[in-house]
Amino acid sequence: MMDSYLYIIIALLPLAAMMVVFQTNPYHALVIRGVLGAIAALVYSILGAPDVALTEALVGTLLAITLYAVAVRSSLVLTIGVLQEEFEIEDQTLDFQVLISAVQTSLDPYYVRVKLMPYADLKALDQALRQQEIHVKVYGNTISNAKLDEIQIKSYQLVTRLNRIYEIIKPDITSALVLLQSSDLKEAQS
Amino acid sequence: MTSVMMTVLNIAIIAMTLSILIPMYAAWKDEDIWQTMLSMASISTKSSLIVLMLSVLRDDWMIGVSGVIMISVGNAGFMLLAHILKRMGEA
Repeated sequence: MMDSYLYIIIALLPLAAMMVVFQTNPYHALVIRGVLGAIAALVYSILGAPDVALTEALVGTLLAITLYAVAVRSSLVLTIGVLQEEFEIEDQTLDFQVLISAVQTSLDPYYVRVKLMPYADLKALDQALRQQEIHVKVYGNTISNAKLDEIQIKSYQLVTRLNRIYEIIKPDITSALVLLQSSDLKEAQS
Repeated sequence: MTSVMMTVLNIAIIAMTLSILIPMYAAWKDEDIWQTMLSMASISTKSSLIVLMLSVLRDDWMIGVSGVIMISVGNAGFMLLAHILKRMGEA
């Protein structure tokens, strides 16, 4: 009777472990890993191993979470190279913002976020794509219509070097102005 | 320590353990990342308090020291993680 609380507390450990295992969102899994660390430290200390509990609290919870957060932050990013003129939010056209948010929406199920990176001109943009600094490049072509020369339509083009990104983004880019092509890198390198 | 007091502390520990289940359910529901963070803070504080209570119950100050360190480390980790998540939201 005296130590019946032990069983309740120990039962929390597999429960928290199951929560980490079945969590699909990496950010939520990161936080629940912290929960698991706290409960593991509790279990270790009530079972008479305060040194193990201390190690779990210091390394398992603090260090593991920090390292995992840095890993998630730096890996789950899709870098889109844009020209300098499109980088500032106040300079962006509505079409461009719609395009970027469509890309973000298609990447949301994979918990990937979009990051824009500015480049000075088209040549630098192309160079960055070839040197694998960015995953996707976006540039606009101004189509001047001969009949309506006041209205300039800007068509945006997305170029990616990764087949998987092409497959993910393609169904969501419905705008007719956007053409997505997998650039042939082998041809470019020669 | 009298046996009445021991029983009271036992019941209190069982109640605290069961109350950990509430923030665990909140973390399981996973709507907002900040709600999950709040439940993590709640769980880590609660577990440290259980450790402190047990150290009084067993009269073992070794466990008490580890409980105090768990409280402070839990808070530090919470601050660190919140800062990283906040910068993620801004970017």
